[in-house]
Amino acid sequence: MTADLHRRMNLKSELNDSELLRLMLAGDEEAFALLYRRRQGGIYRFAAQMSGSDSIGDDITQEVFLFLMREGHTFDSSKGTLSAFLLGVARMYVRRRLKAEQRLELLGDTLDDDDAPFSPQSDMCPLEDLTRAETIESVRKAILSLPEKHREVIVLCELQGVSYAETAEILGCAIGTVRSRLHRARAQLLTMLRPAADVEQRDSATVKSARCFA
Amino acid sequence: MNCQKFETVVSELARGQMMAAEQRAEAMAHTDGCDDCAARLRDEEMLTRGLQSLASQMEPREASRAVEANLLAAFRARQVVVPIAKRKSNTRYWLAAIAAMLLIAISILAFRWNNRSANEPIEARRREQAQPPTPDVNDKSKEQFARDIPKADDVDVLPQRPKPKHVRQVNLRRADTAQVANHVTKEIATDFIPLSYMSASSLQDGGQIIRVQLPRSALANFGLPVNMDRYNEKVKADVLYGVDGMARAIRFVQ
Repeated sequence: MTADLHRRMNLKSELNDSELLRLMLAGDEEAFALLYRRRQGGIYRFAAQMSGSDSIGDDITQEVFLFLMREGHTFDSSKGTLSAFLLGVARMYVRRRLKAEQRLELLGDTLDDDDAPFSPQSDMCPLEDLTRAETIESVRKAILSLPEKHREVIVLCELQGVSYAETAEILGCAIGTVRSRLHRARAQLLTMLRPAADVEQRDSATVKSARCFA
Repeated sequence: MNCQKFETVVSELARGQMMAAEQRAEAMAHTDGCDDCAARLRDEEMLTRGLQSLASQMEPREASRAVEANLLAAFRARQVVVPIAKRKSNTRYWLAAIAAMLLIAISILAFRWNNRSANEPIEARRREQAQPPTPDVNDKSKEQFARDIPKADDVDVLPQRPKPKHVRQVNLRRADTAQVANHVTKEIATDFIPLSYMSASSLQDGGQIIRVQLPRSALANFGLPVNMDRYNEKVKADVLYGVDGMARAIRFVQ
């Protein structure tokens, strides 16, 4: 009995996302379980990286798959991949959740130390020592300090490794927009991660290069 | 390549994205001669490594087991609920469709019934006109009434209404013109009743309709019921005058 179940699961694991979704919508629990295990990681990480909270990551993952159960029939494989569809849904829920959290903060909740906007603590550039856990934490905090639009492209393109085209599909914008947002987001991250003294030095260099462009 | 052009490709260069080999070579050559751009590329590469470190640290993280358990429970529960919901929604659609069809059928029947009841008096009158008239007591009173009705020039037109609306030149080519007029003005009116034996045949010649007010007792002269409580009140009537200025027919209006 168990061997038979494993054999069926193995056969289904070779199916693509669209086929699994079709079976899932027809009531196949195994197909749903396979699809969940295949796609939950990316959705969880996207939500956790966007919000900086593991519990929000869990909540959003659950919301996204409940949405898939209800509205899975609205997915059109000719318009894009199921992965992009799910990330698009996750993005919608994350934005909604972050707005709700912002409203709570405005109502008077004070920020925890973890949620405070990022600012470099020492003169040393955090990027120079990537082996330290603090360095990675600095990068994580710097990402959380970015505006939402820029954070989305950093999380998708840099942390999730999603292509420009798929990112454009998830965000509902042009590929050129993704490129320019990513360029600006990286520039902002560099500014945040660079020590203050280095920033002044860079600013003078920028003036010099601006003259050069003229 | 200059610094400005280098700035547009530095991110792609640091991220190791696909780009034309020629463009890459040009950018690298530019960093050899420009210290600022070389430093800029180093920063970008460091940022890329920082982001990759964060991504690899996050890679093994997944949603908790509880989420999967909750979702599977929700999926099983849904499998029981879905067919019932589907059946309900289908029933609702069928009921709506049947209700719509009934409504259409009732509307058609009502429309036909209205048309038939509207045509019946005209048909009856046509049949009546086809038979030779037999003089009776009522006809005498009609003759008397025709003499009593004033001539067109002497009629006192209602003061509260503008004259052009009441004095209309009509061409009575069809017997049911009065019905059409009734629909337009939204008034309830009797059919035109000839005032003499000659009048019935001369109704087709055309003429002029004039709105007058008469004592309610005039209704009795035409065999119409009179409300004795409102005996002293006046009733409105349209009198059809022939081209010779003589009253041909009358209808009562409410």
